Amino acid sequence: MGKEECKTMLDALNKVTACYRHLVIALGSTSDSQNLREELKKTRKKAQELAVANRTKLTTLLKDKSISKDDRAEYERLWVLFSSSMELLEVDMKRSLEIGQDFPLKVPTRHLIQTGMTGATTTVAARAMSVQNMKYDADANIDTADLKDLETEIVQVGQMREEMEMKVQVAPWAVEAKQEAGAELKSTVSVGNSSVGVISICEEEPKDGEDGENDIMKIFAGIIFVAILLMAAILGYLVINLS
Amino acid sequence: MTVGLRSNRDHAQHYRPRMSCLKKLEALVVEMQSGLKGTDQKLNVTTIPHVLTGQEILAWIANKMKMETEEAQAFGTMLVAYGYIYPLQDHKKLILKPDGSFYRFQTPYFWPVQKWPAEDLDYAIYLAKRNIRKKGSLEVYEQTRYNNFHKWLNPKWDFIVMQASEQYKANKQRQKADRVVFDCQERAYWIVQRPPPRAHSAMDCLDRLSDPNEEPQTFDHFRRTTIHLNQAMMRSRVKSTVSLGALVKDITKYKNHDPFLAPCIPSNPWLSNDDAYWELNLQSVEVPTKMRVERWSFSLMELLNDPRGRKDFKVFLKKEFSGENLAFWEAAEVMKWGSAGSMAEQSQAIFKTFLAPGAPRWINIDGRTMGLTVKGLDHPHRYVLDAAQTHVFLLMKKDTFFRYLKSPTYKDMQKKAIDPAPHNYSDAQVEQNGRNLKPGVDPIILWQRSEEERMTAEAAARPVDISQIKNKLDRK
Repeated sequence: MGKEECKTMLDALNKVTACYRHLVIALGSTSDSQNLREELKKTRKKAQELAVANRTKLTTLLKDKSISKDDRAEYERLWVLFSSSMELLEVDMKRSLEIGQDFPLKVPTRHLIQTGMTGATTTVAARAMSVQNMKYDADANIDTADLKDLETEIVQVGQMREEMEMKVQVAPWAVEAKQEAGAELKSTVSVGNSSVGVISICEEEPKDGEDGENDIMKIFAGIIFVAILLMAAILGYLVINLS
Repeated sequence: MTVGLRSNRDHAQHYRPRMSCLKKLEALVVEMQSGLKGTDQKLNVTTIPHVLTGQEILAWIANKMKMETEEAQAFGTMLVAYGYIYPLQDHKKLILKPDGSFYRFQTPYFWPVQKWPAEDLDYAIYLAKRNIRKKGSLEVYEQTRYNNFHKWLNPKWDFIVMQASEQYKANKQRQKADRVVFDCQERAYWIVQRPPPRAHSAMDCLDRLSDPNEEPQTFDHFRRTTIHLNQAMMRSRVKSTVSLGALVKDITKYKNHDPFLAPCIPSNPWLSNDDAYWELNLQSVEVPTKMRVERWSFSLMELLNDPRGRKDFKVFLKKEFSGENLAFWEAAEVMKWGSAGSMAEQSQAIFKTFLAPGAPRWINIDGRTMGLTVKGLDHPHRYVLDAAQTHVFLLMKKDTFFRYLKSPTYKDMQKKAIDPAPHNYSDAQVEQNGRNLKPGVDPIILWQRSEEERMTAEAAARPVDISQIKNKLDRK
């Protein structure tokens, strides 16, 4: 059914938007690298594909005059979700252009901000692209070459948003939210589920540092256990030998 | 590429003048990267690099900007207040402590930028994420804001919830140390942009229409600047002794009446939640306060501008049978401030009542002004009575006003005026007053009352005119 497809695509767009924002936050800091720039480019392209697909789908659904009132309300809600995603994407793209221009990577003395983040963002990008491992195959000067593409893409997104607003008559303030306050506490929230009746997989968020500690305790316990077994085996062997 | 106006919710009031320092601060922070090297911070098992102490930052600033330590500390505190550096301990207090407390740099995305103000939607997403992290137990002010967003951003609430959970999951993909840093960064950003209540924020400032960093230095800009400066040079100058003397005189006269310099009697309503001051100084009050009466004696303008004072002056003038000057002055004021459509009829009415020879309330102005005014009434406009009005005002000021100040009317008023005792509320009483606040009178009702008074005053003024005409004709 059109609705389910729409919802899965919107979920995907939402995921990519969140990951893109996460990647842009890492720009200019010490976790910035050629890889990050490439990840940004790939995530952006994926976001644009999803955006175009979503837009065509939703516009065809909304232009259909023969749908029921409930259906129309539902589609308008999905439309508001879509346009909010696009808004965030556009802002993030503009900011990544500015920050990318301010912090080029190929200069002899790099002045990346020491933010304390040093790890790679590969896992985030992999999540955005829905792949297991990221492959990096871009040129060495991607940071400058990409910026021109980025400018054209920003213009495209801007035009798309203007078109959307002109062609589709949806009143964004008239939409009623399905989720209640605090719905995000039930963690598997996606477009398709309403707030009640979700099998909540509450992930226990351990306190800072306790996670690492638990692992190490387990390792220690294992080592001690193995050592005791060895001792028992040796003693047994000696007893049998001596007797 | 221009930003479309539809997304510019600030209606072009986007640029904030104090923020023009931000670009320079960014350059400074980038320079700091080569000058300062951070140490590691140990958090249980994880180590996070790039931690600086307050002392190091202070020393670097003092060295680089060639400042004294006090100035450097103020400068450093501004850096923290804007959010370029954030404290790791005591994260709500945005100051630079000159000791070993830890600070870290903020990522460029979270720097304050003039054209990217922090949006409510992003704040709502952040609060939702924090809700997930803290499992529903937000701080009180965060909880109120969260509930507000749920009410006012309701159409986008689904989006907020979805984005928050997705961003939370994306964050989980990173390593432990980076996750901690990210959380600290985001929290610091929102403390700067949406401070907790009763906290002082560096982002509070007025908006302005244009960005001073982007004013185009074209030929036209310089031409206009030159003209402006030439005109400024040609202005007449007053000796500073003279102007300062006038200023001192003015200040000494008004210093007891200025609510900033002298306390409001009985008490400042904004501070003590008790509106006695406003009640006692209403337009239509029977007995004015002593301060108000004293103020009337400063100048005729003060007297006329205070409606109660004007009423009193009218009473005096009625006794003296010279009310036509004030009536003319008031009529001219009404014409000045009136609607454009009523100009013609008002000017005719005023001519018939005050200026025509043999008019019921003929005013005594010199021949030249009278001639000019009557000629101007052929093509009436707002300011056609200006010359006559000024003349009448000067007459009143030089003669009638001083007689008024010496008159029994005024002296009676001075005696009758009340001198309220100052209140001395303690903090608890102030709060209690705040709870018992009653709404004031509806301004519409006040306006209606003043209109009624005006009508009755007008009606009452007319019967006297006939006897005045008789007096004048008798004298002639």
